[in-house]
Amino acid sequence: MLDYLRLEVRRTLRDAGFVIGGIAMPVLMYLLFTNLGADDGTWKTGAMVGMAGYGAVGCALNTGGGVAEDRAIGWLRQLRVTPMTPRQVVIGRTLTGSVTVVPAIVAVLAAGGLLNGVRLDAWQWAAIAALLWLGSVPFTLLGLGNGYRLTGQTTGVANMACNLGLAVLGGLWFPVTLFPGWLRTLSGYTPTYRFAQLGTSVAAGHAPALGALAVLTLWLLAFGSYAVLSYRRSAGNI
Amino acid sequence: MTKTTGTTKATGTTGTTGSTGTTGTTGTMTGTPPAVSFTGAVRSFGAVRALRGVDLRIARGETVALLGRNGAGKSTTIALLLGLTEPDEGRVELFGDPPEASVRAGRVGAMLQEGRTVPRVTVRELVTFVAGRCPAPMPVARALEPAGIADLAGRRVDRLSGGQTQRVRFAVALAGNPALIVLDEPTAALDVEARHAFWASMRSYARLGHTVLFSTHHLEEADAYADRILVIDGGRIVADGTGEQLKRAVGGSLVALDLAGRGAEGLELLPGVRSVEVRGDRARLRTDDPDATVIALAGLGAIRGLEVAPASLDEAFLAPTAREREAA
Repeated sequence: MLDYLRLEVRRTLRDAGFVIGGIAMPVLMYLLFTNLGADDGTWKTGAMVGMAGYGAVGCALNTGGGVAEDRAIGWLRQLRVTPMTPRQVVIGRTLTGSVTVVPAIVAVLAAGGLLNGVRLDAWQWAAIAALLWLGSVPFTLLGLGNGYRLTGQTTGVANMACNLGLAVLGGLWFPVTLFPGWLRTLSGYTPTYRFAQLGTSVAAGHAPALGALAVLTLWLLAFGSYAVLSYRRSAGNI
Repeated sequence: MTKTTGTTKATGTTGTTGSTGTTGTTGTMTGTPPAVSFTGAVRSFGAVRALRGVDLRIARGETVALLGRNGAGKSTTIALLLGLTEPDEGRVELFGDPPEASVRAGRVGAMLQEGRTVPRVTVRELVTFVAGRCPAPMPVARALEPAGIADLAGRRVDRLSGGQTQRVRFAVALAGNPALIVLDEPTAALDVEARHAFWASMRSYARLGHTVLFSTHHLEEADAYADRILVIDGGRIVADGTGEQLKRAVGGSLVALDLAGRGAEGLELLPGVRSVEVRGDRARLRTDDPDATVIALAGLGAIRGLEVAPASLDEAFLAPTAREREAA
């Protein structure tokens, strides 16, 4: 299993599309959004969490894109004729997702701390990174659900739509305070808003709100079920 | 009009000298379960009945070709055998266990048909990974060597040529040092030279006592490299035996001549002749004794556009297949 994880992480990190789209893009966007126009120090911190979250969501969803690709090229089928069990493969893939979100989170946080002068306590840095890392699990499951259900191309499109849609709605790109009231209400129910909230609460110096944890847990269950259903549906013809 | 290739309606009776059936199954009575055993395996996909009751046994150490055209049921047979899908009816066992258990135990290596490879890994990484999943793998170098890709170990799999890719897939199948290796149309992407190299390494692997099953629609390949040929058509095993046996079953040679308006009656009574098939104005005689047949034809003054050819495996392959088609 560890070998499988290592192999898949390696494959992901060698994907130029992943490195550019999943790691470099969020960093660039963060630097761009925070250094153009008006600047009051809090936005630099808020956007840092938002963009780290955006990068993590993108990388997590990308895991699903990998699954769709592996199905299409017959790699999952080849794995089925090795002694690995399907369960090990699925768990290995999920773990791959949680490993490959780390570079994006670290890169954006580093850009915040080193280039944008965001100042936080050590525990805050650690807690933000850890919470964003754990909080990305629902998105990995969403990606896997897409990857096991859809073909390679439609998975790419679906992941992109999920990524952009949820990022914008959840206020990862722009603060939700800029949204009209109804949209702000809607935003409160998105997994991405609650995901980022884990980090912003810590940055503001307090523990994540129970509401955020509750909403995110519901999404975790929803996306988890989606992934399981998709996997079951595809399992016969892998 | 002159060649049988492609026609399915041919051959009346071809003198069923018994080789269709289960000739190659000796050696299964030794107490150890056979490497492969299918008992009345049926598998449908929607309305398509891909396998209509397959019975077969492959003893340990045999090299067997599964021969059939596209759509005959080769791939379904292999999918069942590898536990990738389950039979609707009947039973499939590898080494006496369900296929899945045998695969989990690392007793099976497979080269699947899909043409594309895993992107962004090197040959060594890929083979090492697969080998590492199996309880008693061969050293990676030893898997690369027979596949002829020792010098490619550091290369990325997705940057190799078609033939090289195919050899990587062979190395992947060998990596776990499995007792049974299953190759689904292994030489499809290979040129002649690579093909020979491939079969040479396959043979040396088989010589170690391993069981090999490969599917192909190249008759010559089946004839040249397998101890035994299973012909599958319409979802059933329609012939089973050595290449020689299959050829003998159809009749030793083929004598063809123009009838030039003359009827074909009486031709089946000529010495050696087993069957007569008339197509348009041309008669095709299957004969055990072509010399005697030709002399008799000469005696009749019937020689026009004479053609004598040894029964190819093509004939052996088509004959039972055609019979099966008619029965179905």
